[in-house]
Amino acid sequence: MKIEHTGQNLRISELPELTSVNSGHFRDELRAALPTSPSLIEIDLSQTRFVDSSGLGALFALYRSTGDGRSAILRLVNPAPEIQQLFELTQMQQLFEIVQR
Amino acid sequence: MAATSLQPDRPAALRLSFLPDPRSARAAAAVIRGFLTEQGIPEKDLFACELCVAEACNNAFEYARPAERNYHPIADAVCTEGEIELRVTDRSTGFDLPERAEAVSPAAERGRGLFIIRSMMDEVSYLRGSPENVLVMRKRRQRDSGSAALKAPLSAPELAAELTDCKRTIAGMARELCFRTETLSAVFRCCAELGRGGEAKDFANRLLSDLLNLTSGDWYVFRLLSAQDHRLHVETASHPELQSGPISLPAADGSPRGIEATAAATLTPARVDLRGARSNGSAADEPLLAAGAEADGLVHPLCFAGTLVGTLAVGRRRGGFSAGELQTEVVRTFAEFLALQTLNLRRREEELRDRVVVREMEIAQEIQRSLLPLDLPQLPGYGLTGAWQSAREVGGDFYDALVLNDRSLLLLVADVMGKGVPAALFATIMRGALRGLVARSDDPAELLRGLNSLLYPELSRVNMFITAQVVQMDLRNRRIQAASAGHCPLIFSPPGHAAVSVLPTRGLPLGVLPNSDYRTETGVLGRPGTLLLYTDGLTDARNPAGEMFGQRRLMDWMRAQRRPQFEAAVLGKQLLKEVNRFRGDAPMGDDQAFMLLTADEMSARAAVHAWWQARLVRRSLPRPAFSEPTAIRP
Repeated sequence: MKIEHTGQNLRISELPELTSVNSGHFRDELRAALPTSPSLIEIDLSQTRFVDSSGLGALFALYRSTGDGRSAILRLVNPAPEIQQLFELTQMQQLFEIVQR
Repeated sequence: MAATSLQPDRPAALRLSFLPDPRSARAAAAVIRGFLTEQGIPEKDLFACELCVAEACNNAFEYARPAERNYHPIADAVCTEGEIELRVTDRSTGFDLPERAEAVSPAAERGRGLFIIRSMMDEVSYLRGSPENVLVMRKRRQRDSGSAALKAPLSAPELAAELTDCKRTIAGMARELCFRTETLSAVFRCCAELGRGGEAKDFANRLLSDLLNLTSGDWYVFRLLSAQDHRLHVETASHPELQSGPISLPAADGSPRGIEATAAATLTPARVDLRGARSNGSAADEPLLAAGAEADGLVHPLCFAGTLVGTLAVGRRRGGFSAGELQTEVVRTFAEFLALQTLNLRRREEELRDRVVVREMEIAQEIQRSLLPLDLPQLPGYGLTGAWQSAREVGGDFYDALVLNDRSLLLLVADVMGKGVPAALFATIMRGALRGLVARSDDPAELLRGLNSLLYPELSRVNMFITAQVVQMDLRNRRIQAASAGHCPLIFSPPGHAAVSVLPTRGLPLGVLPNSDYRTETGVLGRPGTLLLYTDGLTDARNPAGEMFGQRRLMDWMRAQRRPQFEAAVLGKQLLKEVNRFRGDAPMGDDQAFMLLTADEMSARAAVHAWWQARLVRRSLPRPAFSEPTAIRP
């Protein structure tokens, strides 16, 4: 997993999976890297092959830690079609901006 | 009915049981995905199945009953032509499966698992039982559209992504192949060199230089565990400063000191990271600091059949040594190969040493055998015999008999304390020295004094000594003069009715003190009579019960031979037989040697007379004038 800072922006990429195995680690890393007042948090999912309910839980925790998305724009980039469907099924698009580039 | 039944589906099935932890549950779901891929399930369904199995597997151990925390849940996948059935068996408290898939609020942190399963599967049931519950999930296969979907043309970005993927995989495989080829050729090179001999150290150095080339390392330390002191000694290292002292296992306070000790104690590879050691440690605590404070690398234990043989540390002095999976595996391969070859070389060296020892023993036995006189002098009126039996290890027992003149016979029995070639060589020297000394004196004490002053400087230098007994016998009146240098007592039968006498042991062995004094004791041998000189191997012989033959048994035997019925050679054989019979199957502890002299019942003069008479009667010649022989020669 790679975390990059650009000013108040945070970009996460190179995430092969987001599951019960690594969701705890993902939360901890993000919490540590989160700027005091982030403006954009972008998670690049183009290399992500699998997400389970724990992974969704971790994304939700991120949503919570940004004041329910009020303090920053939360963006999920390039999810695979199956993962995009999962996001739609669980209505994650209400919490995150989902974009394909 | 059975014969007309429809052709049954031939389902493909897979059953897994997994450890109750997230990683194993995840792995189980991935394996099931692999299995379903082989059955031609389209990607969309593969994702759904993998996700549902992952959710069910997580639930199976997360909600396990406290008593069942160690239970290994089971995941099954059965794939028929029409559907996929997935089952996960748990030992949880169970749950109520909702009738319908009810949407979970996006703001809920948990509870999505069942919702996902309900939504993605066509049919879900939860069979509650005791102690096990089974979650059964079914998904119908889309017969044609599925395979059609697989064959659907991919979009340009999808193709590009797939191409990048393939390139990455191929690059990885090529790198791995390259690494493995290099490793193998290094191993082959070293194998070829093994036959050429050379030291284990040279062999290790050649192999480890190859390892440095392969891993871009620039230092190594190869330690071997010593069987004697159970410490890790440096066998070889890339730089002289890395040749530090041995490492104890474990350290005096019980905790391993340093990275090599830790790897050896835990039998697992350890990363070399000297940042902590630099600030608060010393070179004594961390020998690898000699590679430089910035050095990094890897320490791999060398094991053979689960037993520690040594350690191999390799790395870069200025840091940057990759400890990736592949690199670690290369180090492991080298470490295992090195361990195996080192053990083989050690074994070969030991065999060679053993062979040298055996050869040395053979040489020593040769020398010792050559020391014993081939023929003992045959004297009228007397019988003389000697015997020697060697234990497996060569000692320095020997005997000798010298006829000094027509009335004096000198007998010697000695035991050089020591084994092998040195003992045999001292016996040779002593035999020669005695032959030189008898020209000056035939007094036994004087002879021992002479031998001691000649041999003391050499014997004391190698911490060896010799016990010896010298007996001078006057052949005319059977007067015995004997002196002993720490040797066993002399046993003989005196004239008259006294059964056997013992001349006591006085004087220190030869080689103990530079100016030892010896005393000549005297006695008279009966007629008939027997005199025995022996080494302690004879009385120290033990039977299988551990009992010693001892001096008492020897005296008893001598008492029985006070008036010998047989000639000396026969008596000697009887004594050997007696001792061997007592010893039975017990191994021989020490060499045994003895010399036995018998005095015939008639005088020497009468004996010679009788001998001549017998000859003359046989030849029917006139009886010649007869006188006592003037000289007795061997």
